Amino acid sequence: MLHLLHQREVGTDRPLALQTAQSSRRAYSLEISKDFDVQKIHTSGITSLDVDSTENRYLLSGSADGIVCVHDMENHNDVPKAEYPCVSTIGRSNRYRHKHSVETVKWYPFDNGMFLTSGTDKVLKVWDANVLKTADEFAFSGVVYSHDMSSLASSRCLVAVSTQSSQIKLIDLKTGSATHSLRGHTKAVYSVQWSSRDEHILASGSADSRVLMWDVRMAKGSLFILDQHNGETASNASSGINTAHDGKVNAIRFLPDGLHLMTFGTDDRLHLWDASRGRHMNVNYGRIDNASRRSVRLSSSDGCRPPLAYVPTDSNIYVFDIFSGLRTSILRGHYTQVNACYFHADRQELYSGANDRNILIWTPVTDKAFERQLQEKSEDQSAKNFTSRTAATADAWSSDSD
Amino acid sequence: MSRKRSLMPDVYRTRKRVCSGPQNSEASNQDSESLDNDEWENDDNHNENSNFPSDTKTALLYLKNLFPMDKFEGRLPPIILKHQIYGIIKNRTLVDKDVADMRNSGEIRLFKLGSEASEFCIVFTEDYKSHVLRFTSDLSIGKAVIDKYLTTVVTNCQDICMNKQKMTHDFHFKDEEVTQLVKAGVLTVRDVGSWWLAIPSAGLYMKSFIRGRKAVLTMIRKSKYKEILQAELEVRKLPKVARLGMTYHIHDIIGADLVECVSTSSGQLLRLQE
Repeated sequence: MLHLLHQREVGTDRPLALQTAQSSRRAYSLEISKDFDVQKIHTSGITSLDVDSTENRYLLSGSADGIVCVHDMENHNDVPKAEYPCVSTIGRSNRYRHKHSVETVKWYPFDNGMFLTSGTDKVLKVWDANVLKTADEFAFSGVVYSHDMSSLASSRCLVAVSTQSSQIKLIDLKTGSATHSLRGHTKAVYSVQWSSRDEHILASGSADSRVLMWDVRMAKGSLFILDQHNGETASNASSGINTAHDGKVNAIRFLPDGLHLMTFGTDDRLHLWDASRGRHMNVNYGRIDNASRRSVRLSSSDGCRPPLAYVPTDSNIYVFDIFSGLRTSILRGHYTQVNACYFHADRQELYSGANDRNILIWTPVTDKAFERQLQEKSEDQSAKNFTSRTAATADAWSSDSD
Repeated sequence: MSRKRSLMPDVYRTRKRVCSGPQNSEASNQDSESLDNDEWENDDNHNENSNFPSDTKTALLYLKNLFPMDKFEGRLPPIILKHQIYGIIKNRTLVDKDVADMRNSGEIRLFKLGSEASEFCIVFTEDYKSHVLRFTSDLSIGKAVIDKYLTTVVTNCQDICMNKQKMTHDFHFKDEEVTQLVKAGVLTVRDVGSWWLAIPSAGLYMKSFIRGRKAVLTMIRKSKYKEILQAELEVRKLPKVARLGMTYHIHDIIGADLVECVSTSSGQLLRLQE
């Protein structure tokens, strides 16, 4: 560490090298946070988490009974232990709330005055975060599994919505109507995500085992289909339909650099793809149990070398080195199925939500000398109070004499 | 700084030059090319278990020796399952890459076992060729057809399945010759006009294998808490139908993720996964 600091000071290394080294070290040593906690508001399983990208401060969480909460995650540096408070809730009494479960919550990418939620009541709602009322609502024909807005396209406000029907609809927030729909899948689409590199590219994974890449400017259809065997036929059917997984595709996620895509399916496999050509990178992660019927959220570390993927499986989260496929660690802490995880890139913390109504914070285990000192200082202060209290109530009678 | 024994990425590891053999340094060179910064060496190829070989080829040879040729009286070539290597070498991506390289160079051949299992089995090419010749010399199939098959398809084509177009146009086989190959057991029908490449008399192997795997898993399932020490499992006897041997099956169930390996103070524990 001192060596890296010296190299940065002298100029031998780029400044980014020190930042990458330190954030990698922190990201590799995640454990359940003993000191920080999230105020417990949810009374039902948590399905989705998101942190706003403008201030990196507010955690938005949606649960299975339609409740959406915003927690303020600002880290007060002098306090050794804290509980992050909930600043606003869309609870049961709110007139505009979702009637059934909320499947996806996402902040508006460009400021945190607005967020979008969608759920099993087949509606996508656009909320004003300060007033907690819906600014707009869009109804669909099937359950909405996922929606996404591109954080790169600042001139257009297109929301891609994936539903139980096989078409992906694109909603324009400025005009308030559906612009066009993307046809190509044959069954329910579980997840969509815009590319983090190109503002026109969209990837979608569906129950028909396929993952399609779209360019929204093209009218005719998908760009290409991801094929797990890269063209070789190894399945039983001789007609070789290209499938990305042998089961339903539950989750897709672009890596932050936009060059690679991870997909997770109910065949218990995680696959890594080259996003520009759709080639399977053939990284073997082993068998990862996936019994989830809904879409789950994967997460990946940002700014770390080598990059890590956080994959929720049953009640644990597996941490994989993305390019070599080795499992670095298992994060155990939840009691039931983990639905969502989110890696906070600035603090190297992981937030995870599960069906046991908990949002857990996983922080890097660092040198605890400063926290210990703070704790000792606060203990000294409370010890002084204790002695003064007992002096006032001390028993002055002697007990020997009869 | 106080450092707990937690995981650290390689950049913080002291870069000691481990004097490894030529195979290991070759493998680690391949890995360091894939990283941009070649200061950050990847020493993940080293195994904790020093008894087992640390390279894919040596792992394959070790597994080949495990295969009991005498029990089958020479009617089968040594068949290795691809997932058995995962139990020996921890880095699965590296194993897949090495297997693909060896397959392209023609050293080994991959076959698909049966219609349900999505598993691949590996046979060394020389073993496969000698087995096919030995098998067909007993039957009354014309030697010319078999020789033609061995020289053209086995040597040149690395696929696991063939279709009619490839057979007739690329390799110039006539329909009667294809029928003869199917009769010989070298091709198995998959669909109309499409065949799997197969190992003759593979049914014998599959029977022993399925019985043996079922027997081993039942043994673990019957134990209390559904877990057993590996050392204790090795001394138990398999039924006579399962002729492949206990060690072969242990590698198979570990690599196929049917059991979870937990290292304890009394050795390795195998726990059945649901």
